[in-house]
Amino acid sequence: MPRARAVTFDASLLLWIAAAAVLIFMVVVPLLWLVYTSIQPESGRGLTFANYLTVFTQRFYLEPIRNSMILALSVALIAAAVGTPLAWLVTRSDMPARGLVRALTFAAFATPPFLGAQAWIFLAADRSGWLNRFWENLFHTQSGPFNIYTLGGAIFVMGLYSIPYTFTFVSGALEMMSSEMEDAAAVLGAGPWRTALQITLPLAAPAIVSGFIMSFLEGLALFGVPAFLLIPARQQVITTQLYEFFQFPVHVQWAAAYAMPLLTVTILLLVLQRRVLGRRQYTTVTGKGGRRRPCRLGRGRWPVLGLALIPSMLAILLPYAALFAVSISRAWGRGPVPGNLTLHWYRWALIDNLETKSAIFHSLGYGAAAATISVVIAVLIAYAVLRKLIAGAQLLGFLCMAPFVVPGIVLAIGFFSAYAHPPILLYGTAGMLIAAFATRFLPIAYSNSTSILRGINPELENAARTLGAGRLRTLSFVTAPLLRRGLLSGWLLVFIPAIRELSCAVFLFTPHTAVMTTLMFDFSDAGNYEALSTLGIVLMTITFAITIIAYRFLGRDFMQSREAAG
Amino acid sequence: MTAQPTRRSFIQLAGAATAAASVGMPWAVQAKDADTTALYAAAKKEGSVTWWTAHYAQDAAEAVRDAFVKKYPGIQVSFIRQTAQVVYQRTLQDLKAGVKELDVFASTDEAHYAILKGQGALASYRPPDAGALPKAFQRIDPDNDYQLGAIGFVIINYNSDKVKAPPKKWTDLLDPRWKDQITLGHPGFSGYVGNWVLAMNDKYGWDFFTKLAANNPKIGRSVNDTVTDIVAGERSVGAGPDNYSYDKKAQGNPIDVQFPEDDAIIIVSPVGIMKDAPHPNAARLFENFFYSKEYSQTMVKVFNFPLRSDVPAFNGMHLGKIKFYRNKVNRLATGVPQMIAQWRQTFGV
Repeated sequence: MPRARAVTFDASLLLWIAAAAVLIFMVVVPLLWLVYTSIQPESGRGLTFANYLTVFTQRFYLEPIRNSMILALSVALIAAAVGTPLAWLVTRSDMPARGLVRALTFAAFATPPFLGAQAWIFLAADRSGWLNRFWENLFHTQSGPFNIYTLGGAIFVMGLYSIPYTFTFVSGALEMMSSEMEDAAAVLGAGPWRTALQITLPLAAPAIVSGFIMSFLEGLALFGVPAFLLIPARQQVITTQLYEFFQFPVHVQWAAAYAMPLLTVTILLLVLQRRVLGRRQYTTVTGKGGRRRPCRLGRGRWPVLGLALIPSMLAILLPYAALFAVSISRAWGRGPVPGNLTLHWYRWALIDNLETKSAIFHSLGYGAAAATISVVIAVLIAYAVLRKLIAGAQLLGFLCMAPFVVPGIVLAIGFFSAYAHPPILLYGTAGMLIAAFATRFLPIAYSNSTSILRGINPELENAARTLGAGRLRTLSFVTAPLLRRGLLSGWLLVFIPAIRELSCAVFLFTPHTAVMTTLMFDFSDAGNYEALSTLGIVLMTITFAITIIAYRFLGRDFMQSREAAG
Repeated sequence: MTAQPTRRSFIQLAGAATAAASVGMPWAVQAKDADTTALYAAAKKEGSVTWWTAHYAQDAAEAVRDAFVKKYPGIQVSFIRQTAQVVYQRTLQDLKAGVKELDVFASTDEAHYAILKGQGALASYRPPDAGALPKAFQRIDPDNDYQLGAIGFVIINYNSDKVKAPPKKWTDLLDPRWKDQITLGHPGFSGYVGNWVLAMNDKYGWDFFTKLAANNPKIGRSVNDTVTDIVAGERSVGAGPDNYSYDKKAQGNPIDVQFPEDDAIIIVSPVGIMKDAPHPNAARLFENFFYSKEYSQTMVKVFNFPLRSDVPAFNGMHLGKIKFYRNKVNRLATGVPQMIAQWRQTFGV
């Protein structure tokens, strides 16, 4: 009997060794290659710092860094300033339609920001934008007030799609917080606003800081929006400059060197975030959750709802309406008028065009494969770490979280440097994109796995082990079923960002492995806006359909497990 | 007809002269298509051909695909349309990594072919129907590593609702009256634009662009972006393509074309087959199709120049009547990368 147990334990050990090898392949090798490439001379052997000198001594290459900082800081401020009150309203007030606001905020999260940028080109391009035209007709002026092709325009669009970051962090924290402290404040005579500002807000501060940092990093690392809005404005940011290094004539070494500050800033900020959170350990946020009483907004409920819906209107309603209108237009310039309406582009995308069909297939396939890989690795390692199964498990856990500090575009350059040549040639294969997606979103899967596993009492497992089940058998038949709902949601949390991913894919695809986002990016030049919009609508329809189905499914599962528990 | 250049024809510059003179000649003998039965059978076994093209807009490429599939059922055409430098960069990357996915390479920068040929990346093939080409374009590569695939021009395009007196010369674009009105593509992406920038630089010096930058042009990627901007009313004048501008005009959009007095820039776009093409027979059948009547007729339908001289252009336009300038291939090879670097310094993107 003890002998049998030893054997199964060895098998599981092998499994974790395999997971470790995969992690090294996914995280360590690309990052090392990135560093190595940055000190490689353009041609020939040896090591050099010439690449760093080239990209960091010319004003021409420093300007984009400045622009990126302005962009990211402004985006983070917008996200925090809008996301925080929004989260409070949804979790702590009796505002009507809170579920709707939450769902729309999720929809903004699922929308690729570059798609929003394209929509805002239709809406607010300097002269041709519909809102400007509308304004001109309304006030009989020569020109409208909006120009999306500006740094301000890019900040606006990226801010809209970064709000969900702060929202998610803050609403998560507020939901965990019981209202005892707030009740105490109320008892002591503080009004609802004073309570919110002096009690709730400070309690939520770490979450706000986290949201701020996340959206700052997103603002720094995003490629699509600047590519759509700032290249025409003749303003580069770090990511568009990196993309340029990948255009003819290619300078991968320069790109690697130029990516380093992005990596450094990200690491520093996340260390800072840890410190901020580490110092402020609020035991009120226990996860136990006492009772929470919603703050009554009184007669202000409906006007407040109106305000709360503004971000969603700008991020979802207007953009989707614009994209949809273009997708059903024969020629977008003529607008959605009778005679210009057609389903031609849907037929084109779903039936006639080989490339769009295979791109849809690739997006879904690569996204599913990446989600599966990262969830499996994440749950194995999270389990090993939490149950302290093997020595060095902590290190594996750290590796799982490591991609978190690597912006997508930097990760892509690392993957490209490592796997676009022998011995491991992934470039030109589906493996390149799957591995990159799996790596990029591994931290999401890992933190998800960790938090669900923490929620499971080891007593059940111990019981199974006591009754003679091996480690793997316990994991398969006791732990996994308990985890099912959490794992599925973790899977979705990887799948959805993977199919809307552009920053990584744009560096790693070849035309035979093109996905929907890279195809849309290809269509964005030469003004194939009808094609782009149609693909955008198709992508979002698929995303929302999968989410709704999964939500229903998970929801029912969730209810059952609660009943079982009760 | 504003569509038709009415100026007297000038024949310019050695390279252009030979080309234009013979393109103008009426085609005496009606070319007969070669027998492609065996090639077609072999191509059918391969089942598909992969084609990366910068030659024309998406809808034109789709029309070519449809015409090919109609003539040769059973072979799928998988294509992407992208700007020349992007297509080229992806091709180079595949070559470097040893990825074999491309059959037919179709860029708008002649120098790309010279470089690929130098690397031994292209397969030599003489399409039997290439005899139908005008004499000057019969053998643009003496070794048949590539052939003529398309012809177009960079011209001045403008919004015909907003602009009643379009610029007549390239240098007119420097007039401050076009401030905030100009739209351009990017030489780092578009082969048309790279050709144009080099031609302007060689005619007027880089100063032309320093002054142009002062007029704050909007900069896209593809040369076709100028058409999008003009049609939408986002900008009023551009250095754009003749073909796609005509295409959009025919759809009823407010866009028109002005052939500049100081020369339209001719874009001679070759087509070549990769040595490691995964579908070598389908690639050859597809390249040979470029010299069929169907291809030239398709070109006319999408407002591109027909390659065969027995198919008249859509507006009766005649190469011999257009005053144009052609960059030499060896000048393109060194010039365009240099122009891209200078452009980035001047325009910031």
